[in-house]
Order: sequence, then C-alpha cells, then structure tokens
Amino acid sequence: MTFKLMIPNTEGELQQELMDDEARILAGGTDLMVQMRSGKVAPTRVVSIKKLERLKEISDLGERIRIGAAVTYSELQRSHILQEKSPILLKAIRQIGSLQIRNRGTAVGNIANASPAGDAVLAMVLSEARVEIMGPKGERHESIESFIIGPGRTTLSTGEYIRAVVIEKTDDWQSLFIKVGQRNAMCISVASIGVLRKGKEVRLAFGSVAPVVVRAHKAERFFTREGIDGTKLGEFVERCVESISPIDDVRASSWYRRQVVRGELMKIFGHPDVGGTDVT
Amino acid sequence: MKITINVNGKTHVVKIESAEMLLDTLRRLGYKSVHRSCDSASCSSCTVLLDGNPVLSCCVFSATADGRFVETVEGLGSGEELHPIQKAFLEEGASQCGYCIPSLIMTTKALLAVEPDPTESEIREMLVGNICRCTGYEAQTRAVKKASRYLRGDEE
Repeated sequence: MTFKLMIPNTEGELQQELMDDEARILAGGTDLMVQMRSGKVAPTRVVSIKKLERLKEISDLGERIRIGAAVTYSELQRSHILQEKSPILLKAIRQIGSLQIRNRGTAVGNIANASPAGDAVLAMVLSEARVEIMGPKGERHESIESFIIGPGRTTLSTGEYIRAVVIEKTDDWQSLFIKVGQRNAMCISVASIGVLRKGKEVRLAFGSVAPVVVRAHKAERFFTREGIDGTKLGEFVERCVESISPIDDVRASSWYRRQVVRGELMKIFGHPDVGGTDVT
Repeated sequence: MKITINVNGKTHVVKIESAEMLLDTLRRLGYKSVHRSCDSASCSSCTVLLDGNPVLSCCVFSATADGRFVETVEGLGSGEELHPIQKAFLEEGASQCGYCIPSLIMTTKALLAVEPDPTESEIREMLVGNICRCTGYEAQTRAVKKASRYLRGDEE
C-alpha cells in the first residue's frame, strides 16, 4: 500500500485535498483500511477528517437531529438526544461489529461505504435521513435513498464530501430492528429488517436483500390502506417481498433470504393482537 | 513525520511513515503484546486503549494518534505483582494459547472502567469482537466477573 495520509485542520484544506481524483476520505477506517488491504481500492491519498472539530457535532434541530461526519457509533450511543429521540438508530448500532469497531466507525461512513448490509444505513433510511453534501459548487442536500445508488456507489462526485446526515426524530414510533446473520459476533447480515410503526402508519426497510438498503414503500401504503387483518397479512407480506431482490452470495442464497424476510415478517406482524403489538 | 505518543505513561517521540499503522509503531517501540492476527478489523487481537477507549490498532493511523494516550498490557501490574484483571484471568484459567489475551485484558479494563459491576450478558456483549479460537469464552466471562470483584474490593 503506497499512499499519503493527509490530516487537514480545516474544511477548506479538506476541500483542497479532495480535488485529487484518487483521494479517499478516512473517518474511522473500519471499512476503508480493510478494502485497501484486500486490494479492492488503492487511493494515492487518504484524507483523515479526525481533526475537524465541527464534524464531530451532534445537534438537536427540533424535529430532526444532525450528526456530523466524524461522529462515531460510540458517541451516538452515549448521546442523550439519540437515546431519547432515535431508538431505531441505537438498536441498529448495537448490532454493528464490536466495541472496538463502534469506537472508530461512523454513521456517515456507513452511508459513504454504501453497503446493502449497512445496519446504521437501514435505521437512517427509516428515519428519512437527508445527506448534507459539501463540494466545489457549494452545499447540496439529498435524501439517503436517492444518494446511495448501488453497492459501494453514491452520487458523490469529485471534490464532494458528506458533511453530516440529518435524521428525523422517531421516538413517537414503535421500533424494531432484526439482524439475521450466520453467527452472533462481528457478522455481516444475511438479511436485516427494520420497522417503525405508529398506529396505521408503518415504515419498513430491508438490508442485504437488494443492491441497496430498500424501503418497502408500496407495502407501507398497503398497510395503511388495507390493514393486515385475516388474509390481508399474507398479501402485505408478499408486497414486502416484492420490494426485495436478493442475490446468492457467500453468506446465503437468494431463496433463503426471501424465506428469512417472509418468516420474520410473519413473526412480527402475525401476532394475534392484530399486527404486532410486540413491535416495541 | 514525527509524532509524540504516550504509551503506558511513557512519552515517545517517534519517526513514522505517513501510512504507518499504530500496530506497527507500537511493536517497533517494543510493545509486543499488541498482536497482529487478521489485519482486517475482524479479530481484535491488536486492541489497545486510545485515550481510554478500546480501538483496533491495525486500523488506526499512527499519525492520528499524535499527542494521545495509548495503553497496552505492558502497562498493567508492577512487574512483580499482577494487575487484578491479569490475576483473575490466571486464576480462572481463561487463557489457552494466549494470543488473544492481551487484547481481552485491555478490553476488560475499558469495560470495568465504565461498568464496575457488569452482568454476564454485558460482559459477553462487550467482548463480542475479541475472537478467541481456543476457549468457549466461559472461563473468560468468569474471569471478567472475578476481576470486577477484585477491582471493587469485594474479594481479596
């Protein structure tokens, strides 16, 4: 690995460094370092954002919470705002890697890495996150769903970087995060499911079962319109399954992934008390 | 470039390559308890405490540790006396090949600093990333529990 590590002191310096096509941003390094060692990526410049204090802020915006690009998972777990206002993000973070990984890895890094298995990404998709992007042409904002366009691919262009992510507070929703993996420790999921529910409204997202983390918008509308009583439950679950497009890979087959999603949804929503009062 | 790091209370001014990892710097300085195993953020054998928090030194650039405090297992105990965590690990037979033990002990130290009386499930959750391929984690879980009693002064 031959590359230069740059540690800018200001965002102005960061922008300068990023004008180089071959530069990659390093936040926690828990994905980038692994990809560099396996030869998957070979940047000539690695730019650390660790000295940019303004990127370490978590701020309460009233209806929303803004999380800076350098905020680690552990810092989010310790944040009172997150503890009170975003149970879904904290549930997802608990499932990420290990303590050592959470002490370095960042939620914004999870977005930039754009893995379909991103646990924090799933919670942020459910929280209708907006990505705050800074670049040579100034600031722009994009919803997380349109920002991530494929495995490892985002709409970021040369010179741009994610400065923060802004999520909705979801403390008035019941929340559930399920990660199905091959083992308990340090695993990448075979499938993950996130649910937010408020009365007749529901939000559903699935990880590791499509090129990106997907929201099941159609199934959500069905849930609100038709409910899930009686035969409607099966219809609802099938609409959820229609939203995913799993592949066969080293962790599981496409068929198995569909079965997992189907099975978990029946467990969650098939509760006798009409559609999962156990969603807490 | 040159950085200043404090390891176990001792200040080192050390010349490093731009892309050098903290794991390599520490081993070069003689802190051989910091073990390289997977080198890809999966096994936690290279865990050290950076400003008190367990991190994977295989994925931390030395340059970003400039001016910070590092703790390794060499800093525990007095040379004569074992640290209570080491003592508990020894007494419970928590170590077989021993390769993962320095990292387990440092992670335990960080755990007990924030949670002096952890439950078994808290212990298991905290140690989830420290992969040990010899044991079934039973003795290690007991050792952490015992270490917590030693540190609280509940057991001599």
